[in-house]
Amino acid sequence: MYNAVVNEGLDRMSEMARGNFDLDWMDSNPAGWGHEVKPGKTGLTLCDVETGHYDQVPEHGSSHGSLAPRGCMVPDDTPSLDMYTLNEMSEVWSDNARHLYDEACNRQWNSTTDVPWHKLEKLPDDIEKSVCQMCTGFVEVEFVAGDMPAKWMCHINHDFHEVKLFLATQIMDEARHMDVFRKRALANGGGLLMASPASEELLAAILQANDYTTASSLMHIFGEGFILTLFRTGEFLAPTEVEKTIFRLCMQDEARHVAYGVKHLKYFLERHPEREGEIHSILDAGEQAIFRLTLEPQTIEPRAILAGGGIENIELGMARIGFLYSKQIREYLHRLKVAGLERESRMVIPAELSVETLLERAGVA
Amino acid sequence: MGKNKAILFPSEDWFRGLVSLMGEQEATYRELGATDCTMVVKVTGGASQGTGEDEGEKFFEVVFEDYGADKVRELASIEEASASHFVLEASLETWREMIDNIRDNGSPDLEHTLNYLTFPDDPMLVTGPDQLEVDTFYRYNESLQRFFNAAAEFPTSYA
Repeated sequence: MYNAVVNEGLDRMSEMARGNFDLDWMDSNPAGWGHEVKPGKTGLTLCDVETGHYDQVPEHGSSHGSLAPRGCMVPDDTPSLDMYTLNEMSEVWSDNARHLYDEACNRQWNSTTDVPWHKLEKLPDDIEKSVCQMCTGFVEVEFVAGDMPAKWMCHINHDFHEVKLFLATQIMDEARHMDVFRKRALANGGGLLMASPASEELLAAILQANDYTTASSLMHIFGEGFILTLFRTGEFLAPTEVEKTIFRLCMQDEARHVAYGVKHLKYFLERHPEREGEIHSILDAGEQAIFRLTLEPQTIEPRAILAGGGIENIELGMARIGFLYSKQIREYLHRLKVAGLERESRMVIPAELSVETLLERAGVA
Repeated sequence: MGKNKAILFPSEDWFRGLVSLMGEQEATYRELGATDCTMVVKVTGGASQGTGEDEGEKFFEVVFEDYGADKVRELASIEEASASHFVLEASLETWREMIDNIRDNGSPDLEHTLNYLTFPDDPMLVTGPDQLEVDTFYRYNESLQRFFNAAAEFPTSYA
């Protein structure tokens, strides 16, 4: 009446009913038994438990290809998921992944109660529109940093669970960012304004990158590094304490993502210096895309209006934030340097973009 | 700490005052999450009795760990700082304006937050041994802001 699988299960249950238990699992992993941990002041972190036997991360992920946890005994008949294509530690690892995961768990916030929404105030139309346009841009770009890790996570060998866990926190962070900027755009009598075609070019390059490390270099270091500076700009230009709080909280998350990206690229290039050219190639594409994005009216003009204190002072505002672009480039180059990549001589876009230079180029004295 | 007695800025005592308040407000810092970084505050243009490398320069190191800060010390020079750190540098006049603004308002107004003051690299500058160290200032920014916001809790005098 039942098929073979169910009958096998019923037979096993019958044996148990007669008092015949297997119990082999109890002694299956002597090397991993007797593990001792000591919680720190922040509680019991991943860093606290991943010691000794459980700290042994293999250079090559296990060939069983299953979700079996690293450090346990894996029975020979465990079926493979046949999904893992990222089986080399160097392809995904970062020495700070564990720590960043703990930090991300510990420093979570939420857009519902951690932002002082009650302090929103009626703003002049040009200021509200500028804030809403900035938010529209962030809503558009933020979740690429959720989609990108989501695309790769199920291909990462489960032995590198620290990286998967960290990427999972990043997805949550980006969900929160998308959510908080959408809320701000809709919360004060304004709404979403214009999308950015130039952003899509950069987002596509991130999502369509051929491998994880090039995607990560473009997103974690380049994209998130630039956005981190834009968050700092947002805090700098914020018209109320509400936006100030939003940008400060988002800034913290973004800096974690950048820290993972820098350390991953460093780890990767130390083991695969021959792949440096591929990283440069994807950064070529990224730089051109971000250059177009930076100068798009819906990106730069709202910031200039906020910096000038109103649309009537937009030119003054442009001058006030003229340093923004060169600051983004400088920090980007410095992060790549930490990762072991000398990029300055390879850049395909200008390192500086002053108003004076642009006027000179336009033939205006 | 007597809350009506002015504490001299910059001094180890002034930073210890903030650290002590951090301990009293641990619940707030738990809510924000653990902080793991070393901050060096550099004060330039102060009185000439400074122990720093240039006359009038002073350096103070605060080590943040978990939900508090357990080490505060004055450094003779930046070379004495822990290997991993970032530096917040400003003139005494800028520090004074920021602290007085916090004291006057209970927290900084829009133009006296740490990010506002450091973002254009003037009047306050954030530097570090490398960019990742500088990035820790961004990673823990809200906690660091709350740390300085505690300056509203006691009067400050200046050298």
